Amino acid sequence: MSNAITLRGVRKAYGPVVALEGLDLEIGAGEVLGIVGQNGSGKSTLLKILSGLALPDRGEILMGGTSVLLDSAAAAARHGIGMVHQEQSLIPNLTVAENIFLDKAHPSKRHGIYRWSALNQAARAQLDKLSVTIPPTTLVETLRFSDRQQVEFAKVLAIEEMVDRPPVILFDEPTSLLTPDEIRGLFAQINRLRGRTSMVFVSHRLEEVLEISDRVIVLTDGRKVAERSSGSVDREELYELMVGRQRVDPSLRRAARPPVRAQMLLQVEQLGSHPHFRDISFKLGRGEVLGIVGVLGSGAEELCRALFGVIRPDAGTFILDGKQVKAAGPRAAVQRGIGYLPSDRRSEGMLPGRSLTDNTVITFGSQYGWKRTILNRRRERAAAQHWMTRLKVKMNKASAPITSLSGGNQQKVVLSKWLLARNLRLLLLDHPSRGLDPGARDDLFDVVREQVGQGLSVIFVADTISELLELSDQIVVMRDGEITARFAPSSGRLPREEDIVAAMV
Amino acid sequence: MQIAPDRRTTTRARPDYAAIARTLGPLAFLLLLVAASGAVAPGVLQADSMLGFLSDAAPVIALVVGGTFPILAGSIDLSVAGIASVTGVLVVVLNPVFGPWTSLAVVLLALAFGAVQGLVHCWLQLPSFIVSLASLSILTGLALLLSNATAEPIPSNDVLVGILGNTVAGLPNTIILLAVVVALLWLLMRYTGFGRDLYALGSGETAALMSGVNVRATRTLIFMLSAGCAAMAGLFLVSVTAFSSPTLAGNLLLLSIVGVVLGGTAISGGVGGLFAAVVGGLITAWLRIVTVIVGVAPTAQNIIFGLAALLAVAVTTDRKKLGVIK
Repeated sequence: MSNAITLRGVRKAYGPVVALEGLDLEIGAGEVLGIVGQNGSGKSTLLKILSGLALPDRGEILMGGTSVLLDSAAAAARHGIGMVHQEQSLIPNLTVAENIFLDKAHPSKRHGIYRWSALNQAARAQLDKLSVTIPPTTLVETLRFSDRQQVEFAKVLAIEEMVDRPPVILFDEPTSLLTPDEIRGLFAQINRLRGRTSMVFVSHRLEEVLEISDRVIVLTDGRKVAERSSGSVDREELYELMVGRQRVDPSLRRAARPPVRAQMLLQVEQLGSHPHFRDISFKLGRGEVLGIVGVLGSGAEELCRALFGVIRPDAGTFILDGKQVKAAGPRAAVQRGIGYLPSDRRSEGMLPGRSLTDNTVITFGSQYGWKRTILNRRRERAAAQHWMTRLKVKMNKASAPITSLSGGNQQKVVLSKWLLARNLRLLLLDHPSRGLDPGARDDLFDVVREQVGQGLSVIFVADTISELLELSDQIVVMRDGEITARFAPSSGRLPREEDIVAAMV
Repeated sequence: MQIAPDRRTTTRARPDYAAIARTLGPLAFLLLLVAASGAVAPGVLQADSMLGFLSDAAPVIALVVGGTFPILAGSIDLSVAGIASVTGVLVVVLNPVFGPWTSLAVVLLALAFGAVQGLVHCWLQLPSFIVSLASLSILTGLALLLSNATAEPIPSNDVLVGILGNTVAGLPNTIILLAVVVALLWLLMRYTGFGRDLYALGSGETAALMSGVNVRATRTLIFMLSAGCAAMAGLFLVSVTAFSSPTLAGNLLLLSIVGVVLGGTAISGGVGGLFAAVVGGLITAWLRIVTVIVGVAPTAQNIIFGLAALLAVAVTTDRKKLGVIK
């Protein structure tokens, strides 16, 4: 079988974090290639490199025997590669026809003047390839999600006519927001094109990958750890392969401790917020860590945001220290002693233009002053310095802007903002180790663990299973907005990683 | 300035030359401008003309100081000239009601108006640009309506305007009041959480919100301060002219924005401060003197100020920080 695309020794690192390490990969002509792996295994980076959104640091990409440079989405399109994005890339206030030809030169809009009938006709022809009946003149914003995905599919498929070789279509988690019927429809389309175009199918849902792919590749820590034809592998074996090398060193696991439920802090009962999550119940004691894990779209992040008051729940109750709490925004949450480390550090965690000290004292600096009104700058600065030293922030001076630090050190500064508090009861950590190198991660977790020892309760959305097992007293697994499994490592029974993964996907 | 250098850090880093240039550049420009004018027309440097210049500059500086707060927080207040004009008119119109204390009452009214503006801006989530532009139109209209479009003398029993018209030890009281107000604002910025929240809003509103900053209260206070300073500028103006005119501060809107930018406060928010505002106000006021020395006709002055505004924004904008230009 000839290859549509061959990757040789592709490496990509973001700062200290290696996303792909020496990856060799072939995508056969006309084949459907499934790619699975845990969060952070390099799947998205691989898709970015193939679709021209990221350049590899090393290695080469071969198409038809020659090396190609994919340095933009347009360059990828010139080579016949297109991506159906997870978060869709259509422009809502344009019509279907305009969107399909948005990124392509077409005779019907030469010199920037639109010949609408010709454009609509051409769009009709593209939609017919998929037997989709959406009128080309419809505005995209009026379409359902699944219909928009079909339009995006047609948009990518239209690349076919621009190149003299069969196109390559990349799917990034295409089924995560579809209903079972819509998934059947999408698979019918993929099967229709099988053999004519090459397709790469990335998904967390192993059954679907096994069903639709000819061949499956397992990525772990940026490396290809296994390659199987779909017929010769089953779901259980794929789990084993995905978890495989990440198996946690048992000594790292949180030592079993007596349950600390004696003093209850938080009771969440049947909390729901459409469409993010529903029917979430759990209890958390003082000095206890609840680890939540789930793939993208599981609702774990939104649950954290709801507890911090950013998302308004529409069902259930949330009782903190015996008092029922209403979601009333972050400020009210802060006053109740709740802190939140957002997963989007850049836009939600840090104040980009401000200094390290300013970033640390923004929330609780006034607690160090006179009656919380007049600031005592020297005491605040000392407190900020104390926490930055404890977290081992690498810096030149505390008055330097936070943007001069590396990602890991920025995250430490954002965390120290919450540690400055004198009345913090509950700390929500949303993917705290995202993009952090192992050293910075350990510094962060050491301090969190120590605070937990002093009575702080933590809810923590984990990036990897190993950090989940390392830190949590209780574990909750979420999928599609619901809790699918619970484990209690603190009672002495450590869960198997396979069981956790099985509940996630 | 907001950031105090931390002397307790162990490693001594290179001084941040860019930040120093941003702070001291405008001051150097002001001194250069004054020195050059003095070389051409030595008369402007005499004590008398300097004092005259300062009382002349006081309204502009007050407007620039007030306008700095919204801009630091990433908003803008275009209504300041309107508030200054209405202040002058109200001092006359409300005199039968409040008597000698009319001008104080008017300042309080302005603060309330600013609060309403801030609340509309954040409760309805409308851009400050459009809210304050609408306010400007409402206020200028109100000034014309209330005054029947005529200039009236300021009642002589008004205490505050009377004081402002006097001097202490040769110093005009307008300058003394301005200095006191700026000093109080500086204390407010430096020793209360407000100053910190203000800069936080300017450098990243979402992050500020997620850090528990009271965004609504801060925005409301910002627009109150801006309106309060504008009312003060209005009182300064009538204390000099002794007449209230509905178009008293008509051409001061652009000048107030020019002043903010010339002082080195970034129009995109988060960078700058009160020191920059005072320097910027002085530069703007001095530019008027320069146009006289050079011999630009008064009718053509606005062209100079418009060009100065463009040039100042072009020089001071940090393009690395910009994502979208709107």
